[in-house]
Amino acid sequence: MNETVDAIGVCIEKGKVNKSSSYPIDLQGQDGADELTLQALTQNIAPDEILKTCNDAMQRIGDKFGRNEVFVPELLMAAKAMNTVMVHLKPFFQAGSIKTKGKFIIGTVSGDLHDIGKNLVSMVVEGNGWEVIDLGVDVKTAKFLKAISDNPNSFVGLSALLTTTMANMASTVKEIKMEYPKTTVIVGGAPLSEESAKIMGADGYAADPQSAVLFLNRKIA
Amino acid sequence: MHIELSQFEIDENTFEVTINYSDIKFDKNDIGNTIGYSDGKLPPHFEEMIDQIITRFPKKCNINAGYRLLNLQHSTDRKDGLLIGNKFFQMDKIVTSQLKKANKAALFLCTIGNEMELWAKDLSQKGDSVLAYLVDIVASSAVESIADILHNRINQAASKLGLNVTNRYSPGYCNWSVAEQQKLFSLLPNNFCNISLSDSSLMKPIKSISGIIGIGTKVKFSQYICDRCGVNDCTHRVYLLSKANKANNIVL
Ligand code: B12
Repeated sequence: MNETVDAIGVCIEKGKVNKSSSYPIDLQGQDGADELTLQALTQNIAPDEILKTCNDAMQRIGDKFGRNEVFVPELLMAAKAMNTVMVHLKPFFQAGSIKTKGKFIIGTVSGDLHDIGKNLVSMVVEGNGWEVIDLGVDVKTAKFLKAISDNPNSFVGLSALLTTTMANMASTVKEIKMEYPKTTVIVGGAPLSEESAKIMGADGYAADPQSAVLFLNRKIA
Repeated sequence: MHIELSQFEIDENTFEVTINYSDIKFDKNDIGNTIGYSDGKLPPHFEEMIDQIITRFPKKCNINAGYRLLNLQHSTDRKDGLLIGNKFFQMDKIVTSQLKKANKAALFLCTIGNEMELWAKDLSQKGDSVLAYLVDIVASSAVESIADILHNRINQAASKLGLNVTNRYSPGYCNWSVAEQQKLFSLLPNNFCNISLSDSSLMKPIKSISGIIGIGTKVKFSQYICDRCGVNDCTHRVYLLSKANKANNIVL
């Protein structure tokens, strides 16, 4: 393995975005994911090799999150570093020489304005190699349906924070499933559970961004 | 602890309570615990970010708090709740068992305004999701603290009249449906505390809390109320228990 690529992996896992970022303390003043990716590309390292290293690094930080060794802030820092790499890899995605894992449409359901949980999920899912289409908050069913029709084969994530808006979520899930039975829908948010997700006909539930990533990755495995 | 009782009767039995940002005591260990870190384990980088947020908080808050005192009665024909004002609130035994000895109820609201949530939104849009997340966490902690202070003030006002108060209960907790927010708001003046309620029972600003506190000569505050509730994954329980464990300085 190439040293530069290895170093990119370390930056992702530790959330080192670029040289000027002060996080983490032990990498201060050193090149970050941003600079190292540019160097790797100038060294003609294959973009898919860089991508694979990044995905592995995200997997490692995700595992640590699963073991409660790190928490949401570390996970977000890693995702941020990863997104910096993705900016440099974008031309290769556009040219088709490397591929995203798929498209993930996400939104907070109708009647609900909470967006912090949804944003965290977006950020981490994107950091794990998915293209995220964020529809925002208070998203009516019709908007979800249009996004699915515009983006065939996409996966859908719905967020809600109150039991009252969970009822709106249930009807959105129902309508999506009626029109696009094959579309995978995952739900999340504080009042949700495995059980309530099942009752409303969703394909999955995730309590945190990392579980959402694991669910999505399993679906394409 | 000496707190000025600064409350104004804006309407019959309806009070606005002045709470200053400096009344809030941010506890970084508590904030860290909410994220998942055990005491003292909050990484210094994030701790610094939290310090910066707390420093800017005074300019980013618009605190409003208040309550209305209403009669609390039992319904003659229904056992699954209580009559407060002229409305029947359907409540679980967890709540009614604590409130039933009260003859008055304080329906309260409090908020820190919407500046913190706008700040978090803006940060999210700019891609600074960590700071956005921490702003959100600090904001939640601030409004929880405001609710504690309001609870204390109501207790102090009550004890001047020789009355005691119960724990506070909020629609959406302890099996009390969040949809009952509609009834609670219908008993308060329009736009009380600058908080509005949507059809889906969501309060705006987001960082707001509503609830009820029982008042009477025979009621008492019970520290370990969560023991009676079956909602095991409720994080509020974790919060209350950690607070109870840490501090026996709850002045109720
Ligand atoms: C902090 C908190 C508050 C704060 C801040 C609220 C806020 N929304 O910003 C304050 C104190 C203001 C508050 C107020 C209230 N709260 Co509150 N609150 C919480 C608490 C403890 C944490 C919520 C939070 O901000 N978490 C942090 C964020 C980042 O997490 P999150 O949004 O849940 O998102 C994560 C996951 O859910 C998941 N996720 C989210 N979306 C998605 C989407 C997908 C697709 C996937 C896969 C995953 C996913 O990933 C995210 C990142 O980890 C929860 C309990 C809990 N277990 O979560 C109760 C909770 C949400 N509150 C609740 C209630 C009832 C209320 C009130 C109605 C109480 C009241 N009467 O005053 C009010 C409502 C406020 C309003 N505006 O209307 C209930 C809601 C359930 C219900 N009964 O409807 C909860 C669940 C508590 C309970 N009873 O168990 N609350």
